[in-house]
Amino acid sequence: MKWLRKYGLSVLSIAVALVVFVVPFIFILLMAVKDKKQASLLDFSWPQQFQFIPNLIEVIQTRDYMLLTAYINSTILTVASVTLLVFFAAMVGFVMQRRLAWWTGWVDFFILAGLMIPPAVVPTIWLLQILHLFKTLHGLILIEVAYNLSFAVILFRNFIATIPRELDEAAIIDGARPLSLFFRVIMPLLKPVTVTIIVVQSVAIFNDFVNPLYYLPGKENATVQLTLYNFQSQFVSQYNLLFMDILLITIPPLVVFLFFNRQIVAGMSAGAIKG
Amino acid sequence: MTTMAAKPIVPTKKRKLSRRAAHYPIWFIYPAAIVYGVLFLVPTFASLYFSLTRWTLFEAEFIGLDNFIQFFREPFLSQALLNTVVFAALTSALKVILGLALGVLLTSNIVARGFLRSVVFFPVLVSTIGVGITFTVLMHPTHGMINEALAFIGIKGPGWLTDRHLALYSVALVDVWRGVGLATVIYIAGIVSIPGDYYEAARIDGATRFEQFRYITLPLVRPAMFTVIILSFIGGLRLFDLIWAMTRGGPGFSSDVMASVVYKQYQAGYYGLSTAGNVVLFILIALLAVPLNWFLNSREITR
Amino acid sequence: MAKLSLKGIHKSFGQVEVIKGVDLEVDHGEFVVFVGPSGCGKSTLLRMIAGLEDITSGELWIGDTLCNDVEPRDRGIAMVFQSYALYPHMTVYDNFGFSLKLAKAPKDERDRKIREAARILQMEDLLDRKPSQLSGGQRQRVAIGRAIVRKPEVFLFDEPLSNLDAALRVDMRMELSKLHDELGATMVYVTHDQVEAMTLADKIVVLNGGVVQQIGTPIELYQRPANLFVAGFIGSPKMNFVDGKIAGIGDGAVTVSTSEFADATVTTGATSLSVGDKVTLGIRPYDLDLSQTGAISGKVKLVERLGNETIVNFDLASGKTWLAVLDGDVDIHNGGTVALDHDPDKAVLFDASGLSLN
Repeated sequence: MKWLRKYGLSVLSIAVALVVFVVPFIFILLMAVKDKKQASLLDFSWPQQFQFIPNLIEVIQTRDYMLLTAYINSTILTVASVTLLVFFAAMVGFVMQRRLAWWTGWVDFFILAGLMIPPAVVPTIWLLQILHLFKTLHGLILIEVAYNLSFAVILFRNFIATIPRELDEAAIIDGARPLSLFFRVIMPLLKPVTVTIIVVQSVAIFNDFVNPLYYLPGKENATVQLTLYNFQSQFVSQYNLLFMDILLITIPPLVVFLFFNRQIVAGMSAGAIKG
Repeated sequence: MTTMAAKPIVPTKKRKLSRRAAHYPIWFIYPAAIVYGVLFLVPTFASLYFSLTRWTLFEAEFIGLDNFIQFFREPFLSQALLNTVVFAALTSALKVILGLALGVLLTSNIVARGFLRSVVFFPVLVSTIGVGITFTVLMHPTHGMINEALAFIGIKGPGWLTDRHLALYSVALVDVWRGVGLATVIYIAGIVSIPGDYYEAARIDGATRFEQFRYITLPLVRPAMFTVIILSFIGGLRLFDLIWAMTRGGPGFSSDVMASVVYKQYQAGYYGLSTAGNVVLFILIALLAVPLNWFLNSREITR
Repeated sequence: MAKLSLKGIHKSFGQVEVIKGVDLEVDHGEFVVFVGPSGCGKSTLLRMIAGLEDITSGELWIGDTLCNDVEPRDRGIAMVFQSYALYPHMTVYDNFGFSLKLAKAPKDERDRKIREAARILQMEDLLDRKPSQLSGGQRQRVAIGRAIVRKPEVFLFDEPLSNLDAALRVDMRMELSKLHDELGATMVYVTHDQVEAMTLADKIVVLNGGVVQQIGTPIELYQRPANLFVAGFIGSPKMNFVDGKIAGIGDGAVTVSTSEFADATVTTGATSLSVGDKVTLGIRPYDLDLSQTGAISGKVKLVERLGNETIVNFDLASGKTWLAVLDGDVDIHNGGTVALDHDPDKAVLFDASGLSLN
């Protein structure tokens, strides 16, 4: 009885967590290694045959190595947009935090608007077509930058508020012009929040489905999330391959999570409690 | 005064650039402002006009409020409007309550606390489409694992995604599964920031475990709770990917929401109508979320 | 020669005027201390000299240059901040060298200057450390070193010792004094601590409400305060005050009558006084002595025995509290009465508007 009182809640919590949160992932793993026939039963069972390698090869080869291209596209998209985001947002956060002018109120308003307002999709496509950016990867990169700026600016601004202004002044007296002040003094101090933003935004942009769907349609330059969507209709009878794809797409966030658990959780909860 | 690092300066428009401002040049915001302005603000403002037109992307014929009228006339469109609100309210309510319960549980002295936190949070990071497909399979009416488990204890499970009265709620449950981890970590951040002294003082005053929760945790975790409410409510109003991966708005139009209608009308080539859907969603968020935000903030201040 | 002159300096933040016309001449090599209570404008004034704040009106000359619109880096100044403002991500070496690097000084020249500053401050073996690995006193020295490296015409210090504990503060005070002798540079130093001001300064500038109250050497300020504010601000424990009237005028001295005690004599050269004028009499606690026949008497409230001296709090007739600093071993107890005499040469008189009459 004593044991039950002490550990009862823990055991119950672990059991529920396993069933609710872990079983679906084990299910993905099992499905991904089954053969086609067993996978089509859709049940939670031990694979009769472990088909990991054949399934992997087959899913990669599908549609002319579409998944490989998609991985490259998604990597370019993620790296490029996160890089731009970090610099653009840090610069805005810096000036916004340090300066008070008649226009800073407006910038605040637009930052909040960016967090809340859903993007107007069709007018954006129309505009991208005019700019010859529709269906291009660099167009999508700029879109991701635009849509994720608000979050990054808020995080940077809140962090910069903790850097004493005397440090800027010391640098100014030492002869730093705005660019050296920012890049040599401020930017190196933003490392913790920069890591957080890189990690959180990388996961978000890598996982983004809606924007590639709208702004990067077409088979030849899909992102990984779009491959899943495309395979969903193609693999109606090949659930093992569909789940292999899900598995492959889940691995990058999992790896990032294992290494940057703390930064992700800190970033998401801090960014949410908005400036 | 002398120990204050930053003294407030009162900005005046017509003055030569102050010494301070010169070190924080306005052009630092230009790169961000251009990208954001062109790709977000311009389309947003343009949508206000195009939503009043019949539009082919090349030509726009002004038709007044016809698109909007259609949204309230056509049953499948007004259904989507209703679904959006129901979906957002339901998912945010569940996330607020379950997130708080999990937040309290995962800050208590429980075995394997770190593991449980990770497990609850991880779905937040997984591809929504992947989650959607996985649960579509798990919710399969005959072969799905959920119904097989129910059959095992003698219950005949429903057609989670095939029953038109149930599909929206099934997707809502999956959305809660996916999003409750974020709510939980926000609550955890709020709970751990409450000084331990308060609990010690309360215990000396003779407060029970529940009274400690009721009179200390609950009032002091309120800012975190407001954040969860706002975040999940707006997220719920805007949700598209999960619904699209699981039901495509079906069966029929029973689980359509504004965001899926916008996509469907876009695919069908009704660009004006699609844009009007965007504007309706925009107005919906403004009408519901902005007052909510304002109300919650005002309560926070008077607390 | 780097003289520093301030001519009619004003500063407003929006509608609020915080510096209301300051004139000041600082000679080359002088150590000037700005002192005053919180919010008196002393830091703002220093920051205007540094170029961190705009000058609303007036002229700032450093050497022969009008510096109102000169960038901080071109003013030939260096500044030590209250929080030190060391670059946390740079080593001591790089902290010292940052200004030289920005000025694109050649590497060997940079190295030479950095090592010279390190030698002066005896921190040669700490050059590879980051600020987080240093003690409070060492950080303070890095901040000073960073200033030395620039070989400025004028050093500016903004309450540099206020983050140190009491013992270290005394040490650093002496080091600063030595440094001033060694470098022979002009130094402007802001503090709210009058002990720092008295010990370090060649010249003290007392500020209150954005207005200069008095400029003078420490001894001048102590012995001949220009007004009630300076009299009350300089000296610890604070000067005792009482309101009264001129009762009689003698040869180089006047008699003041107060409602608190019988007539007191004050030596003064003032000639414009006439009997019946309202005045304020000020007597420092150190200038009171026990005397059986003393005119100043009161009820003892508190006796603090410090060993070398005894501080007595006593109430005058109206209940007004005065202080007296007496010898280390006097036979006075709480609740008793005390009778004191004052030194007429050291008492000061202020007229109705608070200006000194001595």
